Amino acid sequence: MDQNFNLALQLMGVGMITVFFILFFIIILGNVIIRFVNRFIPEASVVVTSSVKKVSTTIDPKIMAAIVSAVKTVTGGKGNVVKIEKESK
Amino acid sequence: MEILRKLYEMTAFGSLIANPGPLLMLVIAAILLYLGIKKQYEPLLLIPIAFGVILANLPGGQMSVNPGEFIQLDGLKHLNVTPEGKEVLIDMEHRYLNLFEIAHEYGIMNFLYYMLIKTGLLPPIIFMGVGALTDFGPMLRNLRLSLFGAAAQLGIFTVLLVAIAFNFTPQEAGSLAIIGGADGPTAIYTTIKLAPHLLGPIAIAAYSYMALVPVIIPLVVKLTCSKKELKINMKEMDKLYPPKHKIKNLRAVKIAFPIVLGIVIAFFVPTAVPLLGMLLFGNLVKEVGSTTLRLSEAASGPIMNAATIFLGLTVGATMTSEVFLDVKTIGIIVGGFFAFAISVFGGIAAVKIYNLLAKKKINPLIGATGLSAVPMASRVANEVAVKYDPKNHVLQYCMASNISGVIGSAVAAGVLISFLGG
Repeated sequence: MDQNFNLALQLMGVGMITVFFILFFIIILGNVIIRFVNRFIPEASVVVTSSVKKVSTTIDPKIMAAIVSAVKTVTGGKGNVVKIEKESK
Repeated sequence: MEILRKLYEMTAFGSLIANPGPLLMLVIAAILLYLGIKKQYEPLLLIPIAFGVILANLPGGQMSVNPGEFIQLDGLKHLNVTPEGKEVLIDMEHRYLNLFEIAHEYGIMNFLYYMLIKTGLLPPIIFMGVGALTDFGPMLRNLRLSLFGAAAQLGIFTVLLVAIAFNFTPQEAGSLAIIGGADGPTAIYTTIKLAPHLLGPIAIAAYSYMALVPVIIPLVVKLTCSKKELKINMKEMDKLYPPKHKIKNLRAVKIAFPIVLGIVIAFFVPTAVPLLGMLLFGNLVKEVGSTTLRLSEAASGPIMNAATIFLGLTVGATMTSEVFLDVKTIGIIVGGFFAFAISVFGGIAAVKIYNLLAKKKINPLIGATGLSAVPMASRVANEVAVKYDPKNHVLQYCMASNISGVIGSAVAAGVLISFLGG
């Protein structure tokens, strides 16, 4: 019983220290990855193609950028938004 | 009269009258079904578990899972011939029936249990799906909040101590304590490794308390936090003390993060790799995007759903009256609640200590969500925050500690398995 209790106390110390250590390490690791990416592969800004702008002037530029970004993500950069128009009822 | 006696013997009534335990188990299954169907408490797990309990307790149905001793071949000797032609008797200790023999002798439920659960296969498969559904974005944007995911593992190790004081073996205590991590697959995985005979009650307790997150978190918060603390507005704090680094390419960071993290964790806590490795793989295929869309959809959809069905049914099938109707089950139900509540308190206490030392204050609700139970814990915490200040939306901050809690509980499970596993 005492032996088991000592084991549990030991586990409490080791366990909490390990969990804190790993998550603290994740913070450092995350920051290192963020700095590395910021420095070497910062994201290219999303360019809304002029053809889209010309055709759909009534659509909010933010919404248009979101649609273009979504198409880019889903198609892996291969797809292009050529025209956006509201469906006629 | 003879015909009537034979009819009586043919039906299950005789065995039920001799041993009414299965009837009580059917009542328990009915309660679980009610909670899952009507109250919608974790229905995806509770309904299969409850139905597994029903199947296991239908007399003569041969759908209950038999303990490991039934399939062990201990004591047998196997005659082996060495390359030199000598005949040697090899002890068959720790050898088991093969899967075909298990299916033939004990039925399909034992086949499923020993193939999918006893091998520890399904929890990592479910973790892969969880990874494919998890967004590390909120955590990466608020990295320092991850520490509260560590503090919220306090309940695990506190209940481990208490359970040992109540005569649980260290392995049983470890399995019970992991309920405090509020993570179903982690609890099941740890129990499979440490105390498989307690799998049913521990799975039920873990998922029941996860379903009760909307009750437990507000209760602990109400008992431990002041109105002033709960009104701390994280966005205002961010404006006053903005973060040092803004992420310029979140997608690249999200792709690199699971790869690097998986490798690092493998060095420090190798026993956590089956769970965290699969979680991070699932997350990676999600973050890569359209090129691996089919993989992430499979991981988070059909594979995870199939795994959930078999996990629920087989765990339920372990709960026969002989196993479940035991004093230890009551200990697990009570201990599980305290493990959960102490974990919530641990996160809150860590925030309070942090707030004593730092200028940039943190809402204690972020500590309260340091356990797993993603994203329900965060949603509940956000509702509590909005109740005190309608403009104070803390969801994305809570998600940071909530996701780190998933990692924290898997690491805690790894530690328990390393020290207590055979």
